[in-house]
Amino acid sequence: MKKRIVACFMTIVMIFGLAACGNNGQKEEDTKGGKKESDMTFDELKEAAKGSTVTFYGWGGDELLNEWLDDVFAPAMKEEYDITMERVPMDIDQVLSQLSGELQAGEKDGSIDMIWINGENFQSAKENNMLYGPFVEKLPNFEEYIDTESEDVTLDFAYPIEGYEAPYGKAQMVMIADTAVTPDLPKNTDELKEFAENNKGKVTYPALPDFTGSVFVRNVIYDICGYEQFLDMEADKETVKEAIEPALEYLRQLNPYLWNEGKTFPDSSTTMDNMFADGELVLNMTYDAFGTSIKIEDGTYTETTQSFQFDKGTIGNTNFMAIAANSGNKAGAMVAINEMMSPKIQADRYDTMKVLPVVDYDKLSDEQKEAFDKVDLGKGNIPQDELLSKRLPEMPAKLVPIIEEIWLEEVVGK
Amino acid sequence: MRKKRVTVTNMVLACFVFTIILPVVVLLLWTVTERWAWPDLFPQVFSMRALAGIFQKGGTLTRIFLSSIMISSVVAVLSVVIGTLTARALVLYEFRGKGLIHFLTVLPFMVPATAFAMGIQIAFIKMGLNNTVMGVVVSHLICSLPYAVRLMMDGTAAVGDRLEEQARVLGASAVQAFVRVTLPVLVPVLLSAFSMSYIVSFSQYFLTLLIGGGQVRTFTVVMVPYLLSGERNIACAYSVIFLGVTLAVFGIFEKIADRWSRNMDTEFYA
Repeated sequence: MKKRIVACFMTIVMIFGLAACGNNGQKEEDTKGGKKESDMTFDELKEAAKGSTVTFYGWGGDELLNEWLDDVFAPAMKEEYDITMERVPMDIDQVLSQLSGELQAGEKDGSIDMIWINGENFQSAKENNMLYGPFVEKLPNFEEYIDTESEDVTLDFAYPIEGYEAPYGKAQMVMIADTAVTPDLPKNTDELKEFAENNKGKVTYPALPDFTGSVFVRNVIYDICGYEQFLDMEADKETVKEAIEPALEYLRQLNPYLWNEGKTFPDSSTTMDNMFADGELVLNMTYDAFGTSIKIEDGTYTETTQSFQFDKGTIGNTNFMAIAANSGNKAGAMVAINEMMSPKIQADRYDTMKVLPVVDYDKLSDEQKEAFDKVDLGKGNIPQDELLSKRLPEMPAKLVPIIEEIWLEEVVGK
Repeated sequence: MRKKRVTVTNMVLACFVFTIILPVVVLLLWTVTERWAWPDLFPQVFSMRALAGIFQKGGTLTRIFLSSIMISSVVAVLSVVIGTLTARALVLYEFRGKGLIHFLTVLPFMVPATAFAMGIQIAFIKMGLNNTVMGVVVSHLICSLPYAVRLMMDGTAAVGDRLEEQARVLGASAVQAFVRVTLPVLVPVLLSAFSMSYIVSFSQYFLTLLIGGGQVRTFTVVMVPYLLSGERNIACAYSVIFLGVTLAVFGIFEKIADRWSRNMDTEFYA
């Protein structure tokens, strides 16, 4: 008797459970009707996107950027296009694993619309048909304000973009030191070694494959081996290893003077930021070229902190916005991406977050130029024209993981 | 002799205070600290940046908090109910396949969380459970059940069914005997199982992110990016809130459990 009651109870619970699943499972049907987004004009896209919600997936660790997206960009989109922006903070590997899960399961009305992406991630996502496109030619701001021929916009880590992502912001590697602690800043790798010898145990770089650690090693390679040979190098481990051998030797010689004698490295650039702020290290590095002034203003860094680069230059790249292949709101995503490239928004990003703008200065009207000109970069930054004049291109995306692998085998603890 | 023992106890207590209170004090200090460089004993630069940012988002954060507490409470209640029933079946009854069921209850411990999350995501998408609160609850349940079952099994084994048999002999029905005799005695274990399941669910990051697709927002999902980004003052401010709210929730449930078991007028493991 008891067992039967239990059995009945369990059955009821399960039926309820399944019924609930069923209800939630019914996704709303696609209401946009017959016409595909790729056939629509931009005005039709705007019309189709009215009243919809666009999700924007990307790294959520930058509070200033989060606030800007929530408090400036989202209200602007709502007012101008009646589009609700929903920022979803997620690391790119998680975004891509969620996306690949959705695609594998055949989800048509996917939850991811816009993605903040670049480099290897873009290449693998595009090659696995996880992205929607080409779409950038449809966007008026792209045609009007962006130098569509420049390699910063056509190539992402030397990989052709072919209209599958639109530029969001530019980044460039710079090094940071406190001139009150270390007045002489290294201008090349030789001087860097001297610098490390004089500050034994207080210099290091983030362990690869951290973005920043990885770009630092590439910069060392460029400084020692030149950069031209890598731009069309075959992605073959032996070839790469041979080409970068002098740089590997240099890094091995650097090890004894590094933090913890180069046996271990900080796990990420964020750890290193904190170690530098705490005075545990005398050298920091970042992709965020103008970030130093913000940190000085906040009080995280001292007033005498200064960013600098090698004489031969440092690597710069662009980060992009893409649209998921199964996005449920491609029209809305395109309208939002277009708006992000507008001179007004780009100038605002430059002003609040000191992000290097992606718009082409020469294509702007005088009034628009003024918005950029009046931005005060603050303390501790390299002037923009100097920074950009020493901007080196990224290596092909495929070489990056190979170098990271070689570094792990040949440099750590050696 | 006794005096000595008191001293030892005091020393142990002092150690506990030191290891628990000190980190919390540092945590609190960091919420208003911008720079605290070696070798200074006190922070050099203070700022209200982190707190101001959090207060500005007060409304959204409160909403996220309430929904997090709801999700985790539902998960905890469900896993305690399922855990109690499973434990009873496994401890007090003999049936075929008992060994297998026992093994299955601890299986989620053995599968790596990431592998498990990726698999369940695809399964949930096919069932239409992805991006829903329901899906998040079910996935959390799978993670917290092993703890609840283990804890309840120990409790059930300790209590046994003798008291219940006694109650039956005295004329109570099966349900009466369980509800009025066994359950009140089990309250402390129920509470541990509840707290454990709650905390497992509340601190679930990757799984929530993957199953909820970023659309189901829990406090942990909002907090972890700051922990990872190295923004220590913001991370600390979030951690302090996390700590406070969790303690408050536990306090409330302990009060409820306490009142309940006192009304029943029984003692644990009588």
